[in-house]
Amino acid sequence: MIYEGKQKIWSEYQKEIPDDHYFYVRSCIRQSFFPASEATFLDITRNALGKDIFETEHHTTCGGIAYHSDTIPQETVMTIIARQFALMAKHGYENYVCSCITSFGLYCETMETWREYPELEAKIRENLWRSCKLEFAKPKFLVHASDLIYKYRNLIAAQAVRKLVNVHTGEPLKVVEHIGCHYSKMFPSKGVGGAEYPYVLVGMIEAWGGEIVDYPERRHCCGFGFRQYFIKGNRGYSLSNTHKKFESMEPFKPDLIITNCPGCPYFLDRWQYVIAESTGKTYGQDGHGIPALTYEEVAGLVMGYDPWDLGLQTHQVGVEPLLDKMGVEYDPAKKYLGMNGKDLGAPAPCSCLK
Amino acid sequence: MKNNILIIGGGPAGLEASAQLQRMGYNVILIERSAKLGGHLAQWDRLFPDRVPADEVLGGLLRATEGVKCFTDTDIRAINRLDKSYNVRLTNGITVLSDAVLVASGFDLFNAVRKEEYGYGIYNQVMTNADLEAYFKTGEDKRIENPRKIGFVHCVGSRDEKSGCRSCSKVCCATAVKQAIEMKQAFPQAEVFCFYMDLRLFGRHYEDLYLEAQKEYGVRFIRGRVAEVSENYDGTLLVKAEDTVASKPLKITLDLLVLMAGMRPSASVKELGEHLGMMVEEDGYFAVRSGIAAGQRSPQPGIFLAGAATGPKTLPETLADARAAAMEIDRYLTEIFPDAKNYKQLVKERW
Amino acid sequence: MGKLYDLLMKDYRLKEGLNACINCGTCTAICPAAEFYRYDPRRIVDIVQSKDDEEIEKLLRSDTIWYCGECMSCVTRCPRKNAAGLIIMSLRNLSIELGYFIDSEKGRQQYLLTKDLCSNILDYGYCVYPRRFDYAGHPEAGRVWEWEEKHLDDVFERLGGNLDGSGPGAMRRIPQEDLDQLKAIFDITGATSRMEAVRKAGERKAEEWGMTKEEFEAKIYTDSSPKHLNH
Repeated sequence: MIYEGKQKIWSEYQKEIPDDHYFYVRSCIRQSFFPASEATFLDITRNALGKDIFETEHHTTCGGIAYHSDTIPQETVMTIIARQFALMAKHGYENYVCSCITSFGLYCETMETWREYPELEAKIRENLWRSCKLEFAKPKFLVHASDLIYKYRNLIAAQAVRKLVNVHTGEPLKVVEHIGCHYSKMFPSKGVGGAEYPYVLVGMIEAWGGEIVDYPERRHCCGFGFRQYFIKGNRGYSLSNTHKKFESMEPFKPDLIITNCPGCPYFLDRWQYVIAESTGKTYGQDGHGIPALTYEEVAGLVMGYDPWDLGLQTHQVGVEPLLDKMGVEYDPAKKYLGMNGKDLGAPAPCSCLK
Repeated sequence: MKNNILIIGGGPAGLEASAQLQRMGYNVILIERSAKLGGHLAQWDRLFPDRVPADEVLGGLLRATEGVKCFTDTDIRAINRLDKSYNVRLTNGITVLSDAVLVASGFDLFNAVRKEEYGYGIYNQVMTNADLEAYFKTGEDKRIENPRKIGFVHCVGSRDEKSGCRSCSKVCCATAVKQAIEMKQAFPQAEVFCFYMDLRLFGRHYEDLYLEAQKEYGVRFIRGRVAEVSENYDGTLLVKAEDTVASKPLKITLDLLVLMAGMRPSASVKELGEHLGMMVEEDGYFAVRSGIAAGQRSPQPGIFLAGAATGPKTLPETLADARAAAMEIDRYLTEIFPDAKNYKQLVKERW
Repeated sequence: MGKLYDLLMKDYRLKEGLNACINCGTCTAICPAAEFYRYDPRRIVDIVQSKDDEEIEKLLRSDTIWYCGECMSCVTRCPRKNAAGLIIMSLRNLSIELGYFIDSEKGRQQYLLTKDLCSNILDYGYCVYPRRFDYAGHPEAGRVWEWEEKHLDDVFERLGGNLDGSGPGAMRRIPQEDLDQLKAIFDITGATSRMEAVRKAGERKAEEWGMTKEEFEAKIYTDSSPKHLNH
């Protein structure tokens, strides 16, 4: 691997990311499965870095998952998106940041289609007026929340209490990145670093002291596939794709997987559990899995958040070996406690996965 | 009086035209922007289909140009059209009054880095056709150490609108087959695969070369464009394509991958086009007066074109094109140019 | 020639996604579905560009068009700037519009997908809603989800969420006025009528098979013929 070759490509895909003042929209999957990640994103950007990130309770899903499961027409999803844009304009914002990669890809696709077919944009304007009596303005800048953390990566590093370094050996942690397919595969220029060697997560890992390892199936989809996961009879598709990725990354012995799409960390986590429980195969050390974290969780760890505040207890793959390597102090007894120490019991143990 | 003719480009087209025009009695001035004459031919080891040494061919071309005024490391600084002639200031300080100008600016090899998914310049074991020729010439390349499985990728920077390269480069298919045979000769134990979309082996003896590769060397031809390359833990390459004949995705591990970088318009086209007021077509190559009837005449009277300046060509095509350009220049300088009174009318009728 | 093709061409996704296919196989080579299913996106693009209605109708009634996961990896690589993924989306769209989806095992799954995802949007304003993501239907969600499901309110509270709460926050209760607007958007953009059509087609199929709605739903949720698989 020739690092300088990648640097050359990275230098060609630099997108403009405004520093401040964003209208924030959540992700259906991230808030369902990783609510603490969104909370951490807002805490870091607003409280640690003093940025203006505005959220209104009136925003909704963009409809992307339903759309990519082919259950709603293109006009429907575009009108829902137009409504989100109308809310942004109403609150006086021009910069739009979304937490979801499916949304991000769909916003890019929608704006590109409107640019190419202005009559469709006019139709959507009319739809939005007829249905909601709203008018929209397109965002001046559209970014994914991981673009913002990338933008702030050095500010975060400056406030960090620890690095992505193994405290016992002094070696940087080996990290593999997984980029959501809809981040830049459709529009390479919309992603930091392009489609083939995206830099958005690599930049974070480098800034926080870790070492990125590339592996052959890095670019392969996690296997969500929308309908291929939601329907039980199709889930073999989803599982087989995750399996392929883990078989491919195994020889590189990664300590950690960092992701920017909300669905991927769920699948990369849970299918490891299924593989372990059904075949006995695990990909981490000594019967453990490889933790698949969101970028907010990784940022939170280097900034010294308590791992249980970050929601790391809701991963099926145990994160303790990673926390030990990083020298993170944590109280195992508090892992599954609710607010004010409320006893919630604990998940049943797995038969194989540690 | 001997007419002055300026030839821009010291590759095969420029050399061949220089030799022909000098033989006809013209005063030829040849300029070459790099330090060495010979163009891409000087970088190549052997030539398809007969695998004759490139040095032999280039040597012949150079010998025939003895007496031609050659300026290497030289470019055009400015050019003015006078009544009929061109006043050309060169970067070496010399000014030439030229009655005809031949543009033989050649081509550039596609920069394979731009085909990002193939990882040239990123994955250690990926190289280009030009790198492999350099290896054949010198016997040295740290990527080549008894490879057991070798792949050749056709159409890298050719027939690829995503990379902004729509046209076929004409030479890559035959070059790939030639290089595949040469690698089998060098490493008889190696398995060699060619990934192609269409095998365009149109020239005389090209099909024989293909047959030889299949029958005598066991080169495997897979009809499918390589979609992605990545690096395995042990440094070998993982290559993905579809075997479109079997309608099946295919994954293969290789020790070495050779990208057949195609022909792109020379980087000098833009600047030359501005200096000379010449039209460039959408594909980036110079426009000609007529693709069929006047392929060596530019739309500008007195300016001629030869070789890959007007699109991808094989070496024999380039040399034939250069000879044709020499004939056209001679016709212009004897039939149109001398008649000062009727010059404009003649240009109108005969250019 | 090409009545179905003409219908397809009305779809902006096809206008965007179909140039002229060179049949090079780049899309299939990196397609996650092509490795798992008996599926070759290259052939689909080729059939659509042939404008052959008979072949297109076969596709619309087949399992084939439902194998794609819409990851759009094909879009990055096509040397002719086709987007096989977008072409698939317009084929699926037409298959649903014409009611052909109900003829194939994979197509029929639209009945459940439409029911679940659209009602999540209309009832809650989200595509996914954790109270409707049950461990029983999703055992792969793991022991940890089994635990979360039991303590959903506590877990959300602990993790800074706002499950069914007022104001902003993760999984907040989206105000009724906004849900009403989503419903209005569904009504005028054809989503509501599509939901109805898909529901009716499913119910007719259930009746044809002599099944109750529950039996039908259970069947299409789990049916998976080995004939789909590549290996």
